[in-house]
Amino acid sequence: MENAAPPNRTIVVIGSSTGGPRTLETIFSRFPLIDAAIVIVQHMPLYINSSLCRHLAKTSGMEVRIGEDSEPVEHGTIYVAPSDVHLKLVGNRTIRLFNDEKVQYVRPSIDVTMTSLERNSGDRFVGVILSGMGSDGAQGIRHIKTIGGTTLAQTLRTCAIHAMPRAAFETGRVDHMLPPEGIREQIIRIAGTL
Amino acid sequence: MTEVPCQRIMVVDDDVFILEVMKELFEPEGIEVVAVESGDACIAELENGFRGVVLMDVMMPRKDGWETIKEMLDLDLMEGNVVAMLTAKDVPDGELEQIKEHVIDYITKPFEADEIVTVVKGYLDYLA
Repeated sequence: MENAAPPNRTIVVIGSSTGGPRTLETIFSRFPLIDAAIVIVQHMPLYINSSLCRHLAKTSGMEVRIGEDSEPVEHGTIYVAPSDVHLKLVGNRTIRLFNDEKVQYVRPSIDVTMTSLERNSGDRFVGVILSGMGSDGAQGIRHIKTIGGTTLAQTLRTCAIHAMPRAAFETGRVDHMLPPEGIREQIIRIAGTL
Repeated sequence: MTEVPCQRIMVVDDDVFILEVMKELFEPEGIEVVAVESGDACIAELENGFRGVVLMDVMMPRKDGWETIKEMLDLDLMEGNVVAMLTAKDVPDGELEQIKEHVIDYITKPFEADEIVTVVKGYLDYLA
């Protein structure tokens, strides 16, 4: 029997920190069901993980849930990285949660998730950096651009704290600096609706 | 059963004008405002059981906002609260870097009244 090639995936990784939750709510307000899996890495305390999911699910057409270890990523779903562990995608398909040292004071690290993506002939990638302190995500954006993805960062004037998008921009590998509404439109345009 | 959203905020600011403004903004919305003028008073309220949204000034005499948050962490008083900075400093100092997982937002003064009420109501809903 002929082996079917695994279906292609569009994978969007959004990195967000202080000031990011309200940007996320704008991005996912009236957000349609799109042909992509979205992974959100938000720096936050563990006890509000499910609250963030609940908020995003209120107005989004996507299913929203906390990512679990060994879970395959599916299109039409938003996976929120749980606090206190790092998240990487194995083979661009499967969530792997693991304990390791904090990276730049945080766990999960945006860089760890973004740099786990692997170039292949069929998958498409989008990396997004939102408001936050520090430079987590800059290395990840560089990696996503290197493997052929599209890279976005929040416009500095729309950020509560613009250090993270600025650090990403300073890599020279950000395709577009956009306000939250523009990020939403760009993700929908790239992925397409289901 | 319908979840009852948390309806309490604590404003920590040595500027009594800000404390009054926040009461005028939030109390008509049915949100209880605990107004304290220092980091020590904030810690005392938390030790007495306050849980809700904490709006924390950065620059305060004796114990600033960052030191207060670090003390909250040291004393295990963080859980059940959502902490946002409310500050005149439009660019945060490096202190935030180490505790950013615990600070959900950074709101700069002066702020738009409607905007801050909407944002804080959203964070109260996180604690429902």
